[in-house]
Amino acid sequence: MNTTAKNWLTERASPPGTLACGLRSPDGEVFCRSIEEICPEPTMQKLLGQFDGMRATIFADPLAPRWCTWAFDQGQIRFVPRTDGWLLGLVIRAESDAQPRLDPLSTEFLGLDLGA
Amino acid sequence: MVSHRNNQNLRHILFVDDEPDFLRMVQDVLGPLCAGHWQLHCAGSADAALEQLKRQRMDLAVVDTNMPVLDGLQLLNLLGKRYPELKKVSLTGFVSEDQRSACLAAGAELFIEKPRSTEEFRAVFAMLDDLMSWVPQQGFQGMLRRVGLQDVIQMECLGRNSSVLEVYNEHVLGRIYIEEGSIIHAAGGDLVGERALQRLLALPGGSFELVPFEPPPERTIVGPWEFLLMEAARVRDENAAQAATGQPEVDPKTLAAPTVPTVQVTETLICTGMGHTLYESGCADVQNRVMLLKNIARQATQLGAIALLGNFDRLELQAAEGRAIAQARPDRLVFVAVTSTRSPGA
Repeated sequence: MNTTAKNWLTERASPPGTLACGLRSPDGEVFCRSIEEICPEPTMQKLLGQFDGMRATIFADPLAPRWCTWAFDQGQIRFVPRTDGWLLGLVIRAESDAQPRLDPLSTEFLGLDLGA
Repeated sequence: MVSHRNNQNLRHILFVDDEPDFLRMVQDVLGPLCAGHWQLHCAGSADAALEQLKRQRMDLAVVDTNMPVLDGLQLLNLLGKRYPELKKVSLTGFVSEDQRSACLAAGAELFIEKPRSTEEFRAVFAMLDDLMSWVPQQGFQGMLRRVGLQDVIQMECLGRNSSVLEVYNEHVLGRIYIEEGSIIHAAGGDLVGERALQRLLALPGGSFELVPFEPPPERTIVGPWEFLLMEAARVRDENAAQAATGQPEVDPKTLAAPTVPTVQVTETLICTGMGHTLYESGCADVQNRVMLLKNIARQATQLGAIALLGNFDRLELQAAEGRAIAQARPDRLVFVAVTSTRSPGA
């Protein structure tokens, strides 16, 4: 996987309150980090795998979402797909300090130069 | 505590909530607590609240954030425009940082969790009573926020430190790079350099965070920091002066046509769990939307089974010029979309 992407995920994408984060490259390679054991890497991998079902439904909507957030009682899952095929997934604890950081991080990910 | 006020000083408090049970509790529990000091008014919808406000001057509006059609956030915005002197408080059954920030930005003085027990109602009563005694200090909060950001830059420069100041709100993410006490680069939205610095320092609200220095992608700012901050302050004060005279502020992004943000509900769909329409507005294809909501319910179940984060509450979709919220519960399917655009100021 692209080093820039890995470094970005490691250094930027885990503000306090993050349970796990992960990236999927356009060729399907996955890189995940578990911050708290409640959300281990295999769980994050499975969550990224669930995105394909959303691409055909939610992200095909005329509203043209840039990202989506699934809010549960105890946490939130954010998916941020890029047009070049990269996908960011974040799982955070509900009402944590990570919540206000989700939008800036998503914007940052969308603008990240990940090469061709 | 409530002090000795005579009837001339009777305060009129309006509660707005679509839950009749909650409004009943307001009357039953708060009524005896505030007898002789507050006159309680209740409205079951935003429309009803606006009607009551036409008939009676209110001192405080307590608004539930989660209401159908015109939600609490929109109502707060509307009240801020129509009744600038009215104090506003938002109540919510589900506290989230996003919602708190949005409500406070929309002019709510307090953001509090909805009381459900007598004890909680007493606590809310104490808070509201305290709020009623606040003397308005116009602009104090905004001024403090702005000075806070500027102060941090000043401290970093005076200390000849190297750091990156990340500034963000719901619309903008910006960075100000300081190297050995000099501001060397700023970027925000699609701007860089001094314009970006001025825009970031002119933001009316948001958050900032000081992070370790890293070299910027480019150097776009030169010159003494004192001059740069003074220039930013000048641009900000010009904007504030224009706002004070009733003219909309110049958008620091373009320094051209003044614009104001407008939020409009473009689509609302409320269905039973089986997909039978209860309310629909602006929905181009109801069947398609119902299918989407059922898909969302199915995908939420799958995600919930993997991540074990409790019950699914909602799906939020963020688009370039708007957002949508979808709820898919066994007894109810809800979809609301709003657009947020900038249009020429009044």
